[in-house]
Amino acid sequence: MTNILIDRRQFLKSSALAGGMLLSINLPLIKLANANKKTASDWCIYVEIKPDNSIVIASPVMDMGQHMKTTGPMILADEMDLDWELIEFAEDCPTFLNKNEKGEIGYAFSDMGTGGSHAVRRNWDYMRNAGATARQMIIDEAAAIWKVSPALLNTRASFVINPLTQQKLSYGYLAKGAAVRQIEQSRVKLKQIDQYTIMGKDTKTIDLKQIVTGKPLYGIDADYPNVLQVVIHRAPAQGAKVKSYNKAAALAVSGVLDVVELQQQNDKIGPDIEKQIVSSGVAVISESLWSAMQGKQALRTQWLADKNHENQSSELQQQNFRKLVASDTQAKQRKNDGNIDQALVDAKYVADHTYETPLFAHACMEPFNCIADIREHDATVVVGHQFPHMVAEEVENLTGVDALSVEVINKRMGGGFGRRYERDFLREAITLSKQLKRPVKVTWTREDEVERDFFAPAYVMRVRAGLDENSNVSAWHHRQAQTRGGARDDCFPSQIVKNYRTEHFESSSKIPTGPWRGPSHLQWTFAVESMTDELAYEAKQDPLAFRLDMMQPHMAHEYAGWGAEVIDSGRMAKCYESAAKMAKWGRELPKGHGLGIAGHFTFGSYAAFVIEVSVSNKNQLVLHDAWGAIDCGFAINPNHIRNQMEGGFIDGLNAALFNKVVVEQGQVINNNFHTLRWMKMKEAPKNIQVDIIQNDYPPTGVGEPPTAPAAAALANAIFAASGQRIRQLPIADSISI
Amino acid sequence: MSITFKLNQQTVEVAESNKDMPLLWYIRENEGLKGTKFGCGIGQCGACTVHMNDQAVRSCSITVSQASGTNITTIEGLATSEEQLHPVQEAWMQVDVPQCGYCQAGQIMAASAMLKRIPKPTDEDIDNQMTNICRCGTYVRVRQAIKIAADKLATEVT
Repeated sequence: MTNILIDRRQFLKSSALAGGMLLSINLPLIKLANANKKTASDWCIYVEIKPDNSIVIASPVMDMGQHMKTTGPMILADEMDLDWELIEFAEDCPTFLNKNEKGEIGYAFSDMGTGGSHAVRRNWDYMRNAGATARQMIIDEAAAIWKVSPALLNTRASFVINPLTQQKLSYGYLAKGAAVRQIEQSRVKLKQIDQYTIMGKDTKTIDLKQIVTGKPLYGIDADYPNVLQVVIHRAPAQGAKVKSYNKAAALAVSGVLDVVELQQQNDKIGPDIEKQIVSSGVAVISESLWSAMQGKQALRTQWLADKNHENQSSELQQQNFRKLVASDTQAKQRKNDGNIDQALVDAKYVADHTYETPLFAHACMEPFNCIADIREHDATVVVGHQFPHMVAEEVENLTGVDALSVEVINKRMGGGFGRRYERDFLREAITLSKQLKRPVKVTWTREDEVERDFFAPAYVMRVRAGLDENSNVSAWHHRQAQTRGGARDDCFPSQIVKNYRTEHFESSSKIPTGPWRGPSHLQWTFAVESMTDELAYEAKQDPLAFRLDMMQPHMAHEYAGWGAEVIDSGRMAKCYESAAKMAKWGRELPKGHGLGIAGHFTFGSYAAFVIEVSVSNKNQLVLHDAWGAIDCGFAINPNHIRNQMEGGFIDGLNAALFNKVVVEQGQVINNNFHTLRWMKMKEAPKNIQVDIIQNDYPPTGVGEPPTAPAAAALANAIFAASGQRIRQLPIADSISI
Repeated sequence: MSITFKLNQQTVEVAESNKDMPLLWYIRENEGLKGTKFGCGIGQCGACTVHMNDQAVRSCSITVSQASGTNITTIEGLATSEEQLHPVQEAWMQVDVPQCGYCQAGQIMAASAMLKRIPKPTDEDIDNQMTNICRCGTYVRVRQAIKIAADKLATEVT
């Protein structure tokens, strides 16, 4: 097992660039089935070392604001012992795919997907081993030249050093020879944390300068030879079909070349549930985007409503959910620990409150766009997508072109938040390119983006929680109804409250939903951490002390949910303590001010926040400063962890205050930022101080964990400031801001 | 009759037939300057912010004919050169403001226009003047960068 050779075929390809070394790194234990031979995809090329010792790295995971395009290269470069200052970064990385024995499409080398805060977790071992392997090969080359044992040699900042003679050779000099070396896996040695030279230090965004100077990094900026610009008039209401449109008027617009109808396309997502992926629509094909947009206006498309969606209303749905959770109707049981019924009877005090969250929009800042060029036997797609393998899969499904013959050029994304996991914006472009036999670029408008969103489900969550005679939480009964999906009931208070039952009502709602930044976590935390606060006040205890008591005894519990194996109450407690300490919890506050605290565990990471707010006697809310602590294991890039803590928390505050999509008769009513209010500078906290808990657990994600505690922390702060308990989002419906 | 204005100090002529075209699309499509971003199309989000005679305007909501005779500056024309960035861009890099980065050119254009009028903005000035949406919520860093940029500009003047 330890003698598996990392041979040249698996590992390196040195011929592609004259004199350079292209490392393609593939861990020997990761099985490569049916690696595609037609494209370059049996090589994943991340690193190129040039003779002048400059280095180019391509990050396998693209950025959507989660900073992974910087983090991935940091891991690799540190294990390779590169000089970070000498590295150039490729704008994007080729998407290398393979198929397994079942024909399922996946990544040939490292996992290029991003979502569920998994990119660091899933690439941590891979990227470290890749870097360490390359480093060992370069050392071996130097050892051969100097005729010494490789074990004698060190590396530092892109040089191999012989400590006895002080001789140095650059990686650039050694790369060509190193590229044909073979090494045994047992000789691949990973660094210890105290040996890191790049990781653990504040590092800036690798394409920072391109961003601040407005370089065309995003899909929406991409050009393509002979591409046709397409704007689609999509059915504004779900399920609606095209009734009529004025094709001649659109064709009369200068630049418009063609007008074609698009059929509605649904995917089955459950035995009885279909999800509308592509809406019925009319595509205007044009020479320029602006003329296509004018053509769309000229169409004056009329629509036929779909009876299945006529009564679809987000408000009626919420009313129905309220009735369900208040009723005695049997719900579907999810978890049932201890004896909840008896515990509620025995409790000294039972709180019974219902918490509500609406449909959340994603509103990615960059409206969707996709270039598709479907040819007879192969294809190219230029797009920003969180899971680039799905792009190739979609081409194969729709056109028959083998997924491994699809070149996916994955661009930097102007926001993702789970929305760029969906296939709709791919499917339209692929369908049209196949039909028109031309490369097309489909660009969405903001109204399209909101109307055709796959929202975060709406939730109504009733919690009955009991305190025993010692004011310990002895019972927790969570009963919810939601547009779709379940509950994060593997998170606390699971396992720390002995008598614990969760249940939900199945919903037949046809309102489209999808993953939204830490799916269900913010909603779950709003209910749990609001109720915890209510219990603390009822028990006349300090809300922080009450939480810290709940976390006792500190221990790691098994975690059955997605994205982690354990959930540790001690690690959670540390985050509460740290956030509270930074906020000077317990200090005397100005009149009308209050501090609120909330914490949560999302996909392996723990985060807690305290926020200070004030509420005037005219019920005017102001958000002041916030303090957040995160435990995400070893902190690879503290600078970007802090950035995610700031931005992720603000996104959660926006969800708490404003983010509410209203659907009436299957149609979104508030389809742009004039009616879908979004947080701006004025409403945001002025400062957010962040503490990163130091430890050496393997690193976990930071994109989603800061978001979940925001709504509860804010509601708890408003209560502390004003005595007003807000149990229904958006909070701006109850209080002025 | 064509419409003329200055775009990043170069004179451009636009055919009369394009007079109703939003400036945003002229800049992106006809001039190929992609730093000015499309975000909402209704002047709400500010991703398309450019300078018109040193004032921050939302280019999605201004037509080419309204730009006639003015000086338009986009993010590509803000810096003296690639090596000598504008102090606001430098401050943005110092703080490492961006997450997804899509709105940041618009934020930088809004901030640099504000600092021309209000060289030492208070927090309240920043709250009132900076109305661009950042979907990633980088507001804390945008505020920090503006204050650093204000200091840089003050030093430059003296």
